[in-house]
Amino acid sequence: MRYVYLAKDDLGKFIDLLKEKHRVVAPVKKENLFVFADISGGEDMSLEYIPTIIPPKKYIMPQKESLGKFDMGEVSMKDTSIEMEPTVIFGMHTCDIDGLECLDVVFHKDPADPYYKKRRKNVTIIGYECMFPCDEYATCVTMDTHVPKAGYDIMMTDAGDKYILHVNSKQGDAIIGSGNIFKEADQDAIKKELKDLREKKLPKFKRALNPGYKELQPLFEKSYNNTGVWDDVGRRCVSCGNCTAVCPTCYCFDVYDDVKLDMSGGERGRVWDSCQLNEFAEVAGGENFREERSSRQRHRYYRKFDYPVRKHDKFFCTGCGRCTRTCMAKISLIETVNDLAKGEQDV
Amino acid sequence: MSEDKKKVRIAFFDFADCEGCQLQLTYLNENFLGLLEHCEIVSFREAMSERSDEYDIAFVEGSITRKHDEERVRKIRENAKIVIAYGSCASLGGVNGLRRRFSDEEAKEIVYKGRDSHLEAGWPRPVHEVVKVDHFIHGCPSNNDETIKAVKSILLGKGYTPPDYPVCVECKLKENVCLFEKGQVCMGPVTRAGCGAWCPSWGNTCYSCRGLLDDPAEQGQTELLEKYGYTIDDITEKFDLYNRCRMDAEKEAEKK
Ligand code: SF4
Ligand code: SF4
Ligand code: SF4
Ligand code: SF4
Repeated sequence: MRYVYLAKDDLGKFIDLLKEKHRVVAPVKKENLFVFADISGGEDMSLEYIPTIIPPKKYIMPQKESLGKFDMGEVSMKDTSIEMEPTVIFGMHTCDIDGLECLDVVFHKDPADPYYKKRRKNVTIIGYECMFPCDEYATCVTMDTHVPKAGYDIMMTDAGDKYILHVNSKQGDAIIGSGNIFKEADQDAIKKELKDLREKKLPKFKRALNPGYKELQPLFEKSYNNTGVWDDVGRRCVSCGNCTAVCPTCYCFDVYDDVKLDMSGGERGRVWDSCQLNEFAEVAGGENFREERSSRQRHRYYRKFDYPVRKHDKFFCTGCGRCTRTCMAKISLIETVNDLAKGEQDV
Repeated sequence: MSEDKKKVRIAFFDFADCEGCQLQLTYLNENFLGLLEHCEIVSFREAMSERSDEYDIAFVEGSITRKHDEERVRKIRENAKIVIAYGSCASLGGVNGLRRRFSDEEAKEIVYKGRDSHLEAGWPRPVHEVVKVDHFIHGCPSNNDETIKAVKSILLGKGYTPPDYPVCVECKLKENVCLFEKGQVCMGPVTRAGCGAWCPSWGNTCYSCRGLLDDPAEQGQTELLEKYGYTIDDITEKFDLYNRCRMDAEKEAEKK
């Protein structure tokens, strides 16, 4: 749509402006890591951060949420509506924006998930472009998520003493229009400045995955029976489920009923689930389709690099690196994929 | 619920333990009162002096150690419709299992020095190694939220199955910084959830007080702890702390 400038000194004022009409969540420090959390002012946030422990998907599909209430004996649900105040997710990295686009595809597909849809509608995304790769675990270059493309209302790019803001939606435009801290300038000049900044940025982002974007899915097509790799990963995995909980594109959940103390009724809710847990693929009668850790790990990778490409024409890995960062068993996405590629060459 | 409907009678019994799990229940406050609409506590040493032998549900706390305790728990089993092993001493053998590292003589010498002629050391066992147990509520101490959940579910006739996923799941949902990311170690990955990741949420390591999962990643966890500089003995000790009785039973089963 259009570009404007924001002086770095006015960042606090920007947050204050947003807070007039929105709840604002942004990356904040938690011990030696980061999490998205409510902020009361610009001084609370840490804009220079590596991906948060849990991605901001938690605001749109919360870890645990109520789906409605029921009375005993009746086969109907009531109070199924949810409340969500207009929320700005501030400072989202491009990989997490891509993650949200994956969830959008899944939850908006007919029949759309009403809870997700309602929350998503109330969310405004203000992204913050990475000018440096966050650490050695990220694979955003291969996944092509390191440069802003779409999926945001406003994108901020660091340009020295100011930010360049790309206003990308009506919602974003309304926000910019409501403040007097933004500076208009010649659009071509800003575009040129942005182009120069990116030319300087891109060489800093090195490829970590050996297969390229186009080679990834074909590699997985051939790797299902690469037992060497899957058994090794399966042996080391402790099935803690962390890699899926932290993944911006994982969306599996379990449904539960919580009955009130007086037993007159209760609440039905859902909670994040994980394909890494032993019970996940267990069905009535006790049969478990993925009893082996190796098959559960393989499943996770295929849910990122193969199945969604067939189904939605989109990789469900954003390259954020969270799964590798969080794995206490040091199972690395980069190593696994590169090992698969190696195996492929050997054949 | 109508007044004439018969309330379920619940009784509590303790064996070799600290009674800490029963003590937890006195913190239940209004939740406890809510439950009393459906049940009646007929025996509860932590909070009342009367007792009765007529009950439907028996909460058995503590490990079974001596001959005399075996007889007592058998009697309880006969009287009760439902027996719940309540707390890790009862459900797993718990820390009492550590006693199994010593011979009878050593144990008596350590614990009852000077009085060991008339005191018995006993052999600690989880309740299900002595009588049939219908439901398990793990934890050292037990977690009230889980206890309430289990009791509701049992009263509804659905029974109660504790989670078979690890503490890490609850820990990550809370977005805790993992202890491994701070250079510490944790038994969370192999330990049954249900406590809401109590300890890691307060910066403490998980001791596996709720016991191992049905299919714990023993190999993965061992390799992991080794990477953090733990010897096999240290690791055995970590697994043993609450799971000694189960590990013994598994070894026994392997022999057969
Ligand atoms: S985080 Fe690592 S150990 Fe845990 S389930 Fe994932 S791959 Fe396995
Ligand atoms: S698979 Fe790993 S790197 Fe890819 S999006 Fe999920 S957490 Fe990020
Ligand atoms: S702190 Fe412990 S329980 Fe929490 S994620 Fe790490 S290993 Fe699991
Ligand atoms: S975190 Fe571990 S030690 Fe602590 S209560 Fe839970 S299971 Fe027990």
